[in-house]
Amino acid sequence: MENRWIAYLIPPFIVTLLLVAGSQFVFIQNSFYQDLGLGRTGTDLTLVNYLKFFTDSFYLKTFWITIKVSAIAALLTLFLGFPIAYVVARMKSKLAMFLLAGIVVSTFVTIVIKVFGLIIIFSADGVINKTLLNLGLIERAYSIIGTQEGVVIGLMHFTIGFSVLLLYSVVVTVPPSLEYAAQIHGASRLRVYQRVIIPLCAPGFVVGGLMIFNMCMGAFTSAALLGGGRVLTLPVLVQRTVMMEVKYSTAASIAFVLLVSVILINLFSLIAIRRLRSARLVVA
Amino acid sequence: MKKYKKSLASLGLAFGFAFGFSSMAVAGQFDGVTLKVATWGGSWKANMEKIIVPKFEALGGKIEFVTGSPAANFAKLVAGRGRAPFDVMEVLDAQVGDFAQVDYLQPINLDLIPNKVNLQPFQYNETYVGSWNTQETICYNTEKFAELGLAAPKTYADLAAPALQDKVSLPDINSGAGLANFGGVIYAAGGDEKNIQPGLDLMKKINATKFWTRGGETKTQFESGDIYAAVVHAGWCTRAARAGSPVMTVHPEIKPGVKGLAKEGWLGIMKSSENVEAAHWFINEYLTTDFQYEYAINSGVFPLNQDAIEKMKTDEINAKLMELDPGAISSMLRLDYSKVDKTAWIDGWNKTLTTN
Repeated sequence: MENRWIAYLIPPFIVTLLLVAGSQFVFIQNSFYQDLGLGRTGTDLTLVNYLKFFTDSFYLKTFWITIKVSAIAALLTLFLGFPIAYVVARMKSKLAMFLLAGIVVSTFVTIVIKVFGLIIIFSADGVINKTLLNLGLIERAYSIIGTQEGVVIGLMHFTIGFSVLLLYSVVVTVPPSLEYAAQIHGASRLRVYQRVIIPLCAPGFVVGGLMIFNMCMGAFTSAALLGGGRVLTLPVLVQRTVMMEVKYSTAASIAFVLLVSVILINLFSLIAIRRLRSARLVVA
Repeated sequence: MKKYKKSLASLGLAFGFAFGFSSMAVAGQFDGVTLKVATWGGSWKANMEKIIVPKFEALGGKIEFVTGSPAANFAKLVAGRGRAPFDVMEVLDAQVGDFAQVDYLQPINLDLIPNKVNLQPFQYNETYVGSWNTQETICYNTEKFAELGLAAPKTYADLAAPALQDKVSLPDINSGAGLANFGGVIYAAGGDEKNIQPGLDLMKKINATKFWTRGGETKTQFESGDIYAAVVHAGWCTRAARAGSPVMTVHPEIKPGVKGLAKEGWLGIMKSSENVEAAHWFINEYLTTDFQYEYAINSGVFPLNQDAIEKMKTDEINAKLMELDPGAISSMLRLDYSKVDKTAWIDGWNKTLTTN
């Protein structure tokens, strides 16, 4: 019986393998040949593209900025998304469903539109700059374009809806009765958060945080539009290398470094957290 | 008798028309032909759809567009190892060297392009036919400059004024205008194709708020007040002016005797094309006065057709913001891309001008 069900998985598996893994294999294979420009490659296997990446300060800095803005965006998105997810999860009225539906719909809006919305809001004559200028908090309109802060805001905007949905599914697994029990025993609201809700949601935070981080690491549009050509992340660099320089092998090596680094960061994070939890259990 | 004469005259007229048309184009000449043209989207494509497409359809054919920047279309070509998903392509002057290396274009039979008489001899050869050029300028907001007490800029170095910090937009090296304008800045700073460091230093000093990848971004930023000046081709400045922004252009002083910078567009026929006759027909139509003028007005490029250039003078905004004197146009800086080491330029740019 089980084997029959597994048989249904074979066609999508083959399609995925061909379309995703197959194309990626060709691309990655290219990265091990010297880049001769204009789509041409050398004939001998070599690590020269990778050596260039790991010895050139420009590539290393771009790599670091990609990790930095992705990590900051993931943390801030979790920080912003959790209270929303918690409130929606604990709502007893039908409004919760409408809010959730609104969040789902907003995630379908194309990222280009979302980013242009941000650009309008943060423009010199936009709401935020006008308000800050009128309040006398700034002397001159501030632009988020071309700054790392702007890229972080763009990445948060890109992932916030997804994070709320993800954290909502975590919060609903925590029975409200546990919170009531803690309160009955004298715990304040803050203490309930610290000792009950957050520890129980912690695995969800970790998985959610990593998923958001992964999305940010691969995000192109927000980084390209808000980076304004001044802040480069690895996905933007891959696009520039392919489009401007037509250097496929170099672009493939950058993409492969990005892919492997994301996998490794995820693995190490999960291992570290598992060890941390084991250590805590031993201490407890 | 009178009726007979009238019929004979009508018949003669009909023959005359038929004979006349057959020497230019014959109905059904392109029956079943689908010509694929690689060009930009937006107004570029719209102009062609308005003027060239109906004529081609009247001859029985169909034109499809593959939209994207020339860089994107070149990447498609390379990915397809020269097997192009289009017959005719817009090529930028900065790409001519790349095309020479990959040999993806076929020779153009100039006998099939009678409208080349509208061009100057250096604007066509056996591989390319010129399509337009752009006048790369400094476009600035006159009101904001007056508010800040700044005189109109004369050259790129004037954009480094402290009052303009974070208020200037420059073309990204990744954009279609990137190499040309970076070259202009390099020359204005005292460098050349081989010595780019003075240009990088000046670009760093200007400290642009943004490096634009599409000229249209500058129009939006002028309107929102995010920028007070941009290095962009005059066509985008005329569009901003037509939209109501108080802008003016300056053709920057590049070096003694050279004022302004020109970027040129070309048309090429792909080696893999099976619609060679139609491709020649298309290029010929591109050079008509009507199309060149419409194109210039709607897309902001500068026509190569001499009659269209004359017509440009009748438009007030063009006359004000564009250089229409043939002598001045021909003395503008045109980069020698065969001397440009693109990798070194991009490398220098990335390391100096990105906040990385």
